[in-house]
Amino acid sequence: MNRALVEASALGLLAVSCLLLWVRLRRAAGPQSDGGYPTRERLRFELDHLRRQLARWLTTTDHREVGILYIVFGTVAGLWGGVDAMMLRTELLTPPTDIWSPETYNALFTTHGITMLIFFVLPVFYGVGNYFLPLLLGADDMAFPRVNALGFWLLPPALLLARAGLFVQVGGQLLSPVFPQETIRFFLTLREVSVGWTLYAPLSVQSVNPQIDLLLIGLHLSGVATTLGAINFIVTIVYERAEDVTWANLDIFSWNMLVTSGLVLFAFPLLGSAILMLLLDRNFGTTFFAVEGGGPILWQHLFWFWGHPEVYILFLPATGLLSTILPKFVGRRLFGYKFIVYSTLGLGILSFAVWAHHMFTTGIDPGIRASFMANSIVIAIPSAIKVFNWLTTMWDGDIRTTAPLILAAGSIGTFIVGGVTGVFLAVIPVDILYHGTYYVVGHFHLIVVGIIPFMMIAASYYWYPLLTGRWYDRRLAQFQSVLLIFGSTVTFTTLLIIGGLGLPRRQAVYPPEYQFASQIATVGAYVIGLAALLWLYNMVASYWQGDPVRTTDPWNLKATGQFTREWQWFEGRMVEKYDVTPAEPETVRPAYDPEGEPSGLLGGVGTVAQTVSRNAWMAAVGGFVGTVLMSGGLGTAILIGVLDPASFGEIAELVGLPASPLLGTLLFLIGGTVTWPLVFLAFQEYLPGRLLFETGLVFATLISTGFVVAFYTGQAGLALIGYVGFVVVAHWAYGLGLSVTFQYLRRRQRAKRGRGGG
Amino acid sequence: MAAEADDEADSESALFTYGVPFVGVLLVAVGIAAAVPGAYALIQEDLTPCGAPSIAVESPEETDRRFGDAPPPTVDRLDFAALAPAEQAAFEAALDDPIGEAHVEGAFPNAETFRDGTLVTYEGEHYYATVVAENPCFQAAPLQFPLGVFAIALGIVGILTPPAYRRLVALETGLE
Ligand code: HEM
Ligand SMILES: [Cu+2]
Repeated sequence: MNRALVEASALGLLAVSCLLLWVRLRRAAGPQSDGGYPTRERLRFELDHLRRQLARWLTTTDHREVGILYIVFGTVAGLWGGVDAMMLRTELLTPPTDIWSPETYNALFTTHGITMLIFFVLPVFYGVGNYFLPLLLGADDMAFPRVNALGFWLLPPALLLARAGLFVQVGGQLLSPVFPQETIRFFLTLREVSVGWTLYAPLSVQSVNPQIDLLLIGLHLSGVATTLGAINFIVTIVYERAEDVTWANLDIFSWNMLVTSGLVLFAFPLLGSAILMLLLDRNFGTTFFAVEGGGPILWQHLFWFWGHPEVYILFLPATGLLSTILPKFVGRRLFGYKFIVYSTLGLGILSFAVWAHHMFTTGIDPGIRASFMANSIVIAIPSAIKVFNWLTTMWDGDIRTTAPLILAAGSIGTFIVGGVTGVFLAVIPVDILYHGTYYVVGHFHLIVVGIIPFMMIAASYYWYPLLTGRWYDRRLAQFQSVLLIFGSTVTFTTLLIIGGLGLPRRQAVYPPEYQFASQIATVGAYVIGLAALLWLYNMVASYWQGDPVRTTDPWNLKATGQFTREWQWFEGRMVEKYDVTPAEPETVRPAYDPEGEPSGLLGGVGTVAQTVSRNAWMAAVGGFVGTVLMSGGLGTAILIGVLDPASFGEIAELVGLPASPLLGTLLFLIGGTVTWPLVFLAFQEYLPGRLLFETGLVFATLISTGFVVAFYTGQAGLALIGYVGFVVVAHWAYGLGLSVTFQYLRRRQRAKRGRGGG
Repeated sequence: MAAEADDEADSESALFTYGVPFVGVLLVAVGIAAAVPGAYALIQEDLTPCGAPSIAVESPEETDRRFGDAPPPTVDRLDFAALAPAEQAAFEAALDDPIGEAHVEGAFPNAETFRDGTLVTYEGEHYYATVVAENPCFQAAPLQFPLGVFAIALGIVGILTPPAYRRLVALETGLE
């Protein structure tokens, strides 16, 4: 299938739906218009407003606005890389390469890796850092506001350069019916890079695709941007702290950003140099990575000397968020603050001493190899310290199962599995067996998905009231969090297992025995994708529709003495802007009380028989509505061929009439309108369900089993699944139609009686 | 505020607030996995040259670089003139293609030789050519698409259950 078009349309669709949702909600939230046609003045006003907003966002140097820009940019990149991931998993639904071509698959895992690692994670964390560090440190702004803005604005062109291939390819496809091949040769030449995100020489040197050069320039640009940001964070943390913020009480997230920035400062310049060398090798005939020159292995050393610290650059801010957010929802202080800080510093330093564990199979000197193995095992210790401190923080705590807590707890779980599987990989003989398998993919995704985006999302919920002054939809958020954890666990533990069985990674083709496992992983990945969409919807919709925050302490942090600086800033702003009194949060009980339900839902005293006779005609109307609804479902089932219409003839036979489908259908209608509603009325009190429609659903499910047996005509495989699915759903429609119509009629009758009586 | 939300969630049916949408999401996920490839199977013949393997042809210089002066005898040799028409067309198209690949659309009698990699003699020069992708056609059960769509639709109903549920609760409790 045509990958470029599919991906571009998927992204376009996502962007357009977000925009539409935003505009619609904004319109709904704004002051009510008079319902007239938009006038010219209004239009001009809107355009003016748009222009002013655009100028503001393009030129801002305010740390909070730059922070938002970073977060939005990172989210866009994350969704883009996510679309790549979904497309990867789609190809893997079947063993052969029959959905995308192998070349396309190679391009997908390459761009997926690069987009996620370079353009998604760090920009989002830089955004969070930009927004919150000055608030946490008591600083007015970042140390160098303009450098800050500059650092951000290098990123969009970097992303476009890195992924230009997609647009050029789409362009070529749109142009090719109109222009001769020669004129648009450029468009037909570029395509997305497919050499793997690690850009190993000699393949990356020899591949002709000029998009590799653009990618290298884009990566270099993003490296410069990252370094600028890191310098800014370091200077801000060291020099811009308020009087009372000392190294001993510096908050844990700032500590993590400081260490991360230090790592960036030492790692990224190296990547920049390596990239330039590769660019020179490709275009100017140098021989840094040629066999006659430095050799292809040199690239691997330079790359991983950056690459392993990069792993911690991505991971440390997430642990900082975890250490920040977790204590707030268990009502206890972070256990072992000092040890967490030391472990972070330890990780930072050790992370420069383990790079060759990515190269165990290249045949480096066994003595050196063994020392890298030792270092790699040692690096597990600081991580383990963090885990124990988190667990101890939660121990015996007063846990509030909000969405941020669910995500924090989930992160600890997935991180433990991801981390422990990593320790195995640090062991040379194990790595030699498994480094080229899905075991590796499972291991690192349990971290790059299982803690990094988890904590980003947790932070977005935790600080949403502060960012927007509104609440997100909390039920949806809890649901989404569970979904995300579930999807990730299913997907990536499956990958661990099939990797353990030896399935190689980076392959579009695989042996058929792995198909079922692979399909499970794909369905899990789609669940992750849907969870991401729910999160996006919650963020966008709640911005306009969420309940306004009416207290200065939305998370009730004062009660446990954890009302940290950013919330104090929030309180100050609330007091200043809305004149809210910084009071203790009040407790309000919800109105709906399940115990207050009357026991007989049909609202009557007396025997079952009385109930039935009093309500029979309403039940019959309900039954008729239900039957009509149900026919829709059964009709569709007949249409796609999973239900045999001839089987209706058998009902007639059952009651002793000739086996005609027409007679059968008639009987079916009578049954649906008269018999089953009466049975329902008689038995509903004994069926589970608090409310009538719940009981109706239970009833419908029960009778559907009878239907399934009675109308079965030997369907097998997919047809059987379809048959059962349609029958059950059609019965649900029946149950709902019956109970809701019944309830509606009863309500009207009561209202009438009420009016007549009063 | 937060405490209030928690209590609100407790007093509602956990089944309809979390359970049903959860199953709904699973159904949508399975439905996508069935419907997207299912739909693709229906239209792919119009979209792609499936069933037509791609070959890659290397220029004489690249071929020299690959083998040096003497290609090993295990590499088969073919003469351009002896190739089938579809093979010839694909070979020439690959020479014109910026990345040197083309589909063999039609009879492919030398497929086995191409799969192993072969030297083709064309206008006096040697070109190394191989099959780089088989491009098999995607096979799907005919019911896969409609059932996938059904699962997606049903799943969406499941995901939208919580608000509908609250409305139904309001309808019934409005009675009292
Ligand atoms: C949405 C959830 C995700 C899914 C379903 C997913 C799935 C995949 C798959 C199927 C592969 C290719 C496996 C192979 O054929 O070898 C892959 C590779 C990779 N993924 Fe993800 N991924 C997800 C999220 C992420 C995130 C958030 C990151 C980074 C922050 C990431 C980083 C990578 C990297 C670095 C590779 C290796 C690429 C290469 O081999 O060149 N992934 N992922
Ligand atoms: Cu590493």
